[in-house]
Amino acid sequence: MSDTAAAHEAPTSTGIDHKKLIMWLFLASDCMFFGTLISTHLLYRKLFPAGFTDAEGHQRFIQNLFNIELTSFSTFILLMSSFLMALAVSAMHKGQIKSFRRNVLGVIFFGLIFLGCQVYEFTHFYHEGLTIQNSVLGSTFYVLTGTHGTHVAIGVLWLIMMYFYSFTGKLGGHMGALDVEIAGLYWHFVDIVWIIIFTAVYLVEYLGPNGIWGTGLPAVAK
Amino acid sequence: MSSSHEAALSPDFLAEEVRRYHHFIVLALWLAVVTGAEIVLIFLPIPVAAILTILTLMSAGKFFAVILWFMHLIYDKRLLFWCFFAGLALAFATYAALLMLFSVDRIDTRWFS
Amino acid sequence: MSHDSHHAPVACKTELAPERSDLGLIRPDRTTGLIDWLTTVDHKKIGILYGAFAMFYFLVGGVEALAIRTQLARPDNDFVTARMYNQLFTMHGTTMIFLGVMPLSAAFFNFLVPLQIGARDVAFPRLNAFSLWTFVFGAFVLNASWFFEFAHLAGWFNSFEWHKALVYTDFAPANGWFSYAPLSGTFGQNGQALRFTGVGTDFWIIGIQVLGIASLAASFNFICTIINMRAKGMTMMRLPVFTWMTLVTAVLIILAFPAITVALIELMFDRTFGANFFNPSAGGQPVLWQHLFWIFGHPEVYILVLPAMGIVSEVLPTFSGKSLFGYPIIVFSGAVIGFLGFAVWSHHMFTTGLGPVPTAAFSLLTMAIAVPTGVKIFNWLGTIWGGRIRFTPPMVLALGFIWMFMCGGFSGVMHSAAPADSQQQDSYFVIAHFHYVLLGGVLLGLMAGLYFWFPKIFGRMPNAPIAYIASGLVILGFNVAFGPMHYLGLAGQPRRTHTYHAGNGWEQWNYVATIGAYILGIGVALAFVNLVWTAFRGKKCSNDPWDGRTLEWSLPSPVPEYNFAQAPIVATRDAFFEDKHGSKRIGSEPDGGEAGVHMPSQSWMPLVASAGFLFIGFGMPMMAMHVPHAGWLVIGGLGVLFLGIWLWALEGPGGYMLKTPAASGTPVPTETAAH
Repeated sequence: MSDTAAAHEAPTSTGIDHKKLIMWLFLASDCMFFGTLISTHLLYRKLFPAGFTDAEGHQRFIQNLFNIELTSFSTFILLMSSFLMALAVSAMHKGQIKSFRRNVLGVIFFGLIFLGCQVYEFTHFYHEGLTIQNSVLGSTFYVLTGTHGTHVAIGVLWLIMMYFYSFTGKLGGHMGALDVEIAGLYWHFVDIVWIIIFTAVYLVEYLGPNGIWGTGLPAVAK
Repeated sequence: MSSSHEAALSPDFLAEEVRRYHHFIVLALWLAVVTGAEIVLIFLPIPVAAILTILTLMSAGKFFAVILWFMHLIYDKRLLFWCFFAGLALAFATYAALLMLFSVDRIDTRWFS
Repeated sequence: MSHDSHHAPVACKTELAPERSDLGLIRPDRTTGLIDWLTTVDHKKIGILYGAFAMFYFLVGGVEALAIRTQLARPDNDFVTARMYNQLFTMHGTTMIFLGVMPLSAAFFNFLVPLQIGARDVAFPRLNAFSLWTFVFGAFVLNASWFFEFAHLAGWFNSFEWHKALVYTDFAPANGWFSYAPLSGTFGQNGQALRFTGVGTDFWIIGIQVLGIASLAASFNFICTIINMRAKGMTMMRLPVFTWMTLVTAVLIILAFPAITVALIELMFDRTFGANFFNPSAGGQPVLWQHLFWIFGHPEVYILVLPAMGIVSEVLPTFSGKSLFGYPIIVFSGAVIGFLGFAVWSHHMFTTGLGPVPTAAFSLLTMAIAVPTGVKIFNWLGTIWGGRIRFTPPMVLALGFIWMFMCGGFSGVMHSAAPADSQQQDSYFVIAHFHYVLLGGVLLGLMAGLYFWFPKIFGRMPNAPIAYIASGLVILGFNVAFGPMHYLGLAGQPRRTHTYHAGNGWEQWNYVATIGAYILGIGVALAFVNLVWTAFRGKKCSNDPWDGRTLEWSLPSPVPEYNFAQAPIVATRDAFFEDKHGSKRIGSEPDGGEAGVHMPSQSWMPLVASAGFLFIGFGMPMMAMHVPHAGWLVIGGLGVLFLGIWLWALEGPGGYMLKTPAASGTPVPTETAAH
């Protein structure tokens, strides 16, 4: 799938494949990427615990918009897709291409369900009055979860291409297993980012009578 | 690394793969259970600080379980773990500091609510 | 090997039979001339291209600097308008940092790292080509803003509807190289996204975003190369210091750039889609932009200076005839500088009012950075102490680096004290400080590197008398230009103001600084003319004209495509010097013999993929200009990017075998490692 031109024959200095090393370096870098987005959201939640004002001028709390059942469902779906991805990689290591295809199809399916949930959630929130334009909360929420959703979409696209590529017969042997494992690393990372977002963006809003960020009133009284 | 592929189909390797397979199944069950527990936890009538602490520990646990087993860090070379951990630790430290710098008492939010 | 070509080994790639990739397209392996340069995956050619583009943009940034200094030569001057002045200093800073220093450092990374570690290429040759072309297109987009600006000034846009609707018509960026919000951002409620600046800012945002992608891709590649592709025996603590500093720089890039990537995405959402990240009228915190920018921006300072420190650490031992004094300490302090670089970002923001505790903490950490930097200076002094010094042009420049960089360091420590800094903030004192670091440090270091490795890159020796004159002019002009700015800053002259009135006591030294800037400009131009002339017409020289220490000097000049006919086995630090003068020889691995050396195939796909950024780069600002249908340009660009990556993935890595002189019968002396 990619070019480790001279690397096919020469063993590496550390014994780690180039592709695996570069993927982990990318993920380390992506930690800073999502760290920036998550902390942007959190620091604005801390500054403006009151939520947002909808088109009719009503003060709205974000925890009243959240649907914990839906979010828990999509979280569960993503965790299970991660499990199937681990099985797909394992199948590839054992050279069981059919088992790989079955599992990866499951991952794609679950990934699409997750994206569907997100589309539903965004539409729902939009109709409830939270837009990217009407509040800082809308900006940080949509850009953070939307960026994560984009990562999921890229992962789904990658796996779909890999699924079809497996029928050409070129996805095999050590390099094939490695390519699948790299895609798997990416998928798992998207999953662990969601583990953090699920806790830091969704669950904490339910703590206490008005959310963890305070009374729900402006931090400095008028 | 092509030599490792020839070794890949040895009985030892297959036994190891089967062992990992069972780890994955057990871990998937645990992840589901912990996620369920998190959702229950937020509605329990106990102090917010306690819930927050447990939530943090639980999601950190899930996070590291996935990177260690699903992402094979526990089976792979140690270097990969440190590569990733460097980014993770730096991100955590930097953004913890950033959040602390944004304390409410120095920013007047009056105008916007 | 499954991926190997079907070709028999050949002595020259033009003898290859045409080969089709997995996609059925003919690989551009046999090409020469322009197509060869466009599709190359050879790290040496990519390094030369990086260097050529960087030198061009150095001159562009230099012309911008001279325009700034001309405007400031006398009080109440009207050489340029206030707006043009803002655009000039913005583009000067952005160009010098992102299009001058970083790519010139990247040129050295590309050319030298594989040679210094005894490898035949980088870990991902096509990704390396992608980094290069992405940089080229990003740089082009950023500078294309000038064409829009001049077209606007010439009135070419006047008949267009979208042009009449524009409120602000500055087409070149005018926010400073840091583009602080809210100036660069928006204001207004409910997604009005009213702006303070025109589309120049949008050009800046997308240009920096694309350049960031180029730097990130290159850095992943280089970390992987250095960690994974070292020759046998080349342990981490035997790596040449330049390679070590490349590694630290690359780590800094992959950890610092995501912060600016996200900040730019947020700013782009503010401007293009009416989000409120930095919108003060909706509660957005402009100071957050400062934080995110400097979380990236401070490590960026070390991204700029560490490669130059690496170069100096190679030049000084070579011309002192001694090994580097305290190698482990030099390496360790380089890593510490890199690490601490992440912990001091707020020292750029003392005057924003962080509160006493953060201010004290960032003050102390900033002072702490001076320690490893000072350690390096003493190690360099220790290296030349008692050595047989040869005052060649690179050595002159490297020595200039030490004391000029030290001056910049001293004024840097002054800034670390928050009370002093709050007086110096936004004054010419700051300009003086960072130009001593970036010009006296980085430019002198990079010029030393150019004069040092040019004989290796082209096999030709630069003209020494001209090199001495150029070096002298650069060091003299630079001190005349920036020395007085210390005084001007403390006397109160503010940065980023297009003119000043007479009677403040600034006239004399501004005039002197302008004279210095022109001397500096003549010096740099002379050096570049000297180097470019050398590349084509210079006198041929031997493979090891400086009595070099590291592996690259053991190779012929110019270096053959496959670098090492036989992969070396290294037994010590400074392996080549020991091989020549000491007891430990460089060994060699048995090569493929008649089978030859495996070479990666050339490819169009990196160029195609990065061409997508060209469309995105023009589409985004044109969307901001409300040019009709500009959004399709962005979508088309994303399509081209995706298509390029997709075809890249499917074409297969390919490769062919090249005969080395040994395989084709020419005897090559081989030595085994002595015990």
